[in-house]
Amino acid sequence: MPGKLFARRRDGRIEVRLNDAGRGAIREVFAHVLAAERDPEHEWHLSLNAPINPSSDDDDPLASLTRQNEIASNAELSIMTLKEQYLNDTEAWAWLSTLQVALRSTAVVNGLLSDEKLETCAPELLDDIRTMQQFLFELAACF
Amino acid sequence: MQPLRFSSTESDVESEVAVITERPWNVIVWNDPVTPMTVVVVIFKRIFGYSNNKCTDLMLTVHHEGRAVVWSGQRERAESYCVKLQVAGLQATVERDA
Repeated sequence: MPGKLFARRRDGRIEVRLNDAGRGAIREVFAHVLAAERDPEHEWHLSLNAPINPSSDDDDPLASLTRQNEIASNAELSIMTLKEQYLNDTEAWAWLSTLQVALRSTAVVNGLLSDEKLETCAPELLDDIRTMQQFLFELAACF
Repeated sequence: MQPLRFSSTESDVESEVAVITERPWNVIVWNDPVTPMTVVVVIFKRIFGYSNNKCTDLMLTVHHEGRAVVWSGQRERAESYCVKLQVAGLQATVERDA
C-alpha cells in the first residue's frame, strides 16, 4: 500500500520504505539512545535508569545491568541496520524498542507527563514527538 | 519404559504450598501521554504472549486507570518482566501485592 513507512512481507521480513530524510531522522534518534546509555551526563540517562522496585533503596544490580546491556544492544543493532531495505523480526523489534525508549525519554526530560502538558508544549518538540509516534504506529502494525 | 513425568513427593507439595501462601509480586505498567496504544498492545503480546484481547484490555486499563497489573508471581520473574518492559520503552515497576 503506498504511503506506508513499514510493511510486513509474505516472507516475514519487514520492508523499510523510509526515504533518506526519514532514515536520517531515525538515525539521530537511535544515536541519542546509544549515547544516553553510555554517558551518565546525557540528558536522557536518568530516564533510561528508572527504578525497578521503587520501594527498595537499590535495585538488583544484575537487573539494572541487564537493562543497560539490552537497551544498548537494541540501539546498536538498530544503527547497524539503518540502511537495510528489509529487516528481520529481531532487527525490527530492536527498532521499535529503541524508538519507544527515545519517545518516552523525550517526554520525561521535557516534563510531558500529562495530555495537557503535551498539547501545550513547544511546536518543534511536539513535531518531533508526532514524528516518532508515526514511526512507532506504523512499525507496530507489522507485529 | 521410563516415566515421562515426575511424581509429586511430600516435599514438593510442601514447597508449592509455601510458594502459594507468599504474597506475589506485581508488575505494574504506568500510563504516559505519548506512547501509542497499538505499541503497548504489541509489547504486551511480545513479552507475555497474551491474546490480543487480553493485551487490549490491559492497555485500556493502563490508559483509563493510570496503571495496570500485567503479571503477578515470583519476585525474580516479576523483575525480569519489568526489565523487559523497560527495555521496550514502557514505564514499569514491581511491587509486592498488598
